[in-house]
Amino acid sequence: MKRDHQEISGSGSKPAESSSIKGKLWEEDPDAGGMDDELLAVLGYKVRSSDMADVAQKLEMLEKVMGTAQEDGISQLGDTVHFNPSDLSGWVQNLLIEFNGPTTTPDPNFNDDSEYDLRAIPGVAAYPPVKSDPGLENTRKRAKTESSSSSSSTTTRPVVLIDSQEAGVRLVHTLMACAEAVQQDNLKLADALVKHIGLLASSQTGAMRKVATYFAEALARRIYRIFPPDSLDPSYNDKLQIPFYETCPYLKFAHFTANQAILEAFSMASRVHVIDFGLKQGMQWPALMQALALRPGGPPAFRLTGIGPPQPDNTDALQQVGWKLAQLAERIGIEFEFRGFVANSLADLEPEMLDIRPPEIEVVAVNAVFELHPLLARPGGIEKVVSSIKAMKPKIVTVVEQEANHNGPVFLDRFTEALHYYSTLFDSLEGSGVAPASQDLAMSELYLGRQICNVVACEGMDRVERHEPLTQWRTRMETAGFSPVHLGSNAYKQASMLLALFASGDGYRVEENNGCLMLGWHTRPLIATSAWRLAGTESGSELTQELS
Amino acid sequence: MAGSNEVNLNESKRVVPLNTWVLISNFKLSYNLQRRPDGTFNRDLSEFLDRRVPANINPVDGVFSFDHVDGATGLLNRVYQPSPKNEAQWGIVDLEKPLSTTEVVPVIVFFHGGSFTHSSANSAIYDTFCRRLVNICKAVVVSVNYRRSPEHRYPCAYDDGWAALKWVKSRTWLQSGKDSKVHVYLAGDSSGGNIAHHVAVRAAEADVEVLGNILLHPMFGGQMRTESEKRLDGKYFVTLHDRDWYWRAYLPEGEDRDHPACNPFGPRGRTLEGLKFPKSLVVVAGLDLIQDWQLAYVEGLKKSGQEVKLLFLEKATIGFYFLPNNDHFYRLMEEMNNFVHSNC
Repeated sequence: MKRDHQEISGSGSKPAESSSIKGKLWEEDPDAGGMDDELLAVLGYKVRSSDMADVAQKLEMLEKVMGTAQEDGISQLGDTVHFNPSDLSGWVQNLLIEFNGPTTTPDPNFNDDSEYDLRAIPGVAAYPPVKSDPGLENTRKRAKTESSSSSSSTTTRPVVLIDSQEAGVRLVHTLMACAEAVQQDNLKLADALVKHIGLLASSQTGAMRKVATYFAEALARRIYRIFPPDSLDPSYNDKLQIPFYETCPYLKFAHFTANQAILEAFSMASRVHVIDFGLKQGMQWPALMQALALRPGGPPAFRLTGIGPPQPDNTDALQQVGWKLAQLAERIGIEFEFRGFVANSLADLEPEMLDIRPPEIEVVAVNAVFELHPLLARPGGIEKVVSSIKAMKPKIVTVVEQEANHNGPVFLDRFTEALHYYSTLFDSLEGSGVAPASQDLAMSELYLGRQICNVVACEGMDRVERHEPLTQWRTRMETAGFSPVHLGSNAYKQASMLLALFASGDGYRVEENNGCLMLGWHTRPLIATSAWRLAGTESGSELTQELS
Repeated sequence: MAGSNEVNLNESKRVVPLNTWVLISNFKLSYNLQRRPDGTFNRDLSEFLDRRVPANINPVDGVFSFDHVDGATGLLNRVYQPSPKNEAQWGIVDLEKPLSTTEVVPVIVFFHGGSFTHSSANSAIYDTFCRRLVNICKAVVVSVNYRRSPEHRYPCAYDDGWAALKWVKSRTWLQSGKDSKVHVYLAGDSSGGNIAHHVAVRAAEADVEVLGNILLHPMFGGQMRTESEKRLDGKYFVTLHDRDWYWRAYLPEGEDRDHPACNPFGPRGRTLEGLKFPKSLVVVAGLDLIQDWQLAYVEGLKKSGQEVKLLFLEKATIGFYFLPNNDHFYRLMEEMNNFVHSNC
């Protein structure tokens, strides 16, 4: 009995579309053209319908070549670096090059058994692979620049419950009811609910109690219009970041993955310049400097420009950090130059101020860890900064942002997103084995609590915690003229190792997402690292890709 | 490896749609890269390559999902439910009210495949499959993220399956029907099917009611080489060589494939006669090289006096249910739907 087969869509963000079944197995949809195969897309693979036969052929070739390699006893290239598995065509192509290469000996400098000095970050970039047959470069296909990822008309709200938390869920519902009352401007009801939440929260323990307390306080501030007093003092935030750095792996992951990308972009340069959009305590840079110092052939000259907010007591915090890094540089033998720039906002920055030297002389990396989302608070802010970045002509731009949608137009949606996001974050702090009464843990919670307060209680230019998910940042960067630089399996593997060492909690997960890396708690991604280059230019990792 | 590569590749390409062929061949080759000849596994590469999707409490095409983690063990289950008819209830997790007080809503505890080694509950292929199951069978699906080999060998997967079953049975919000109980079915593909069987045995022995088992080309085996294994080795995506590797990775070290986990009705197996074992639906793909073991399993159930229905899909290869682009997929869905609703 023939029937009309309706496609039942899966979990993908694409809306449901019905497609009639193809009676013959080989019949190709003439309308498919440049469209991705829908069925594969939902499974995480982007293959254009028109490319399907070509990809199939490449898979056949790859199987033949792999089969030969195994028969010869050549170890499967465990050191092969893979990029963006969603781009099936590119992935297969890269493997074909790997297996067809004249030299299949593993890179002697990149050895699984080597002792990792994890303060330094060895890797493909610090130990650039030996350049092989130059004739091979002709067969290399440029890795496809990924098209703008599918825009989601419905938001994804990942929810992870620890231990059912039946009572906790009741608390969550009450919080949401209160937020809904606020949304509807029913302040009398909101007030009653906020008080009830306080009661419910006190009967909870652990992460749920803390999260509920912070959200209740933020709601109260919004209802009574008592805005947080020191929300405008970013220097206080900078200091709170240190305990946050210590107690959980998010910042370490951010620094680590960004540094990997930067290292790879710097791999052949003799003079490099990092522009750090938020220097803070400079915690990201010692590891990078160590890795540069260990480069075979010697380190490049390293210039660091650090940007930071004005200090309330007028001390020159930037110079202090620069001085410490200069001392480190001298100890490890790197030529070092530092410049600090005080700015109220990154949008106040003019590229001319930064003394950018021509790309032939100096390779530039721009680094923005949690620094871009505040710019969304003022109109034109992000556009100005993105165009400044372009004027700096960076070889690579590293961006780390919270993987959350806390910048939607509707308060209730923002509230609900934030509630789930910070619940997961607090759960991870609790689950990670940090001694519960430690000072660092309390400060970390305060650091996050201030974010909660800002998302919930503030509006307009005061609301700076305007987190947006990776898909939106991708669209923004691509529209602005940047192309993605894919972080590879090498960075993934090292990030996983880092987690195993520093994160005693078992629930942390690194995930690859279309060339970017995300760190999450269990199945919920929480922060995302992406890397970018100016569209139409080559980047370090692609360069590395073609060298086998 | 039996046969020449040329012949093998052409045959498999003839029996499945092109995008299915691309999908499964991709898995085959990437899995080849992950397995090491010495029996170790490149877990980092495997995790890197696996395509994952987060849960989504917002309904998409009639289904929403959320994850539950057992704080003590770290065991994760992903729960999929039909979206509430009342839109005002979207985006809210209700952990108090039963699914229904009047109708029976089947709860399918699903164990994903991957030969005990690959994939996770949040792998895109399985997340998508479970969502389709919810819609077609009008059921709740709980996908179990069991621990995998070679890091966690037998009986870890069964232990996790058993823990998940107990968790599901004890949730008041998964109850349904006038009898207010959780109407549970166990289901799984490949290694997941194997897990479903062994968890069902444990449940029967502990007098925990399971209403039915659905085994989708379940992973069984044995020391001897069966006719289908010899005939189909390497022809449709799967080789005896890789099957052997996965058993060596899962079974206790030093054990052979007649271990009862692998060969439940073999020389070291046992009869299930007299056990209150659930009725079974066993789906066998006619181009799966281990079909002889699956057919032997069906025989074993029959000899034990247990109720079993065999769905033999002659021209199906492994993984036919990942893409709804073939008749076998719809046939399977129809059978599964009937199976979980035939009690009411």
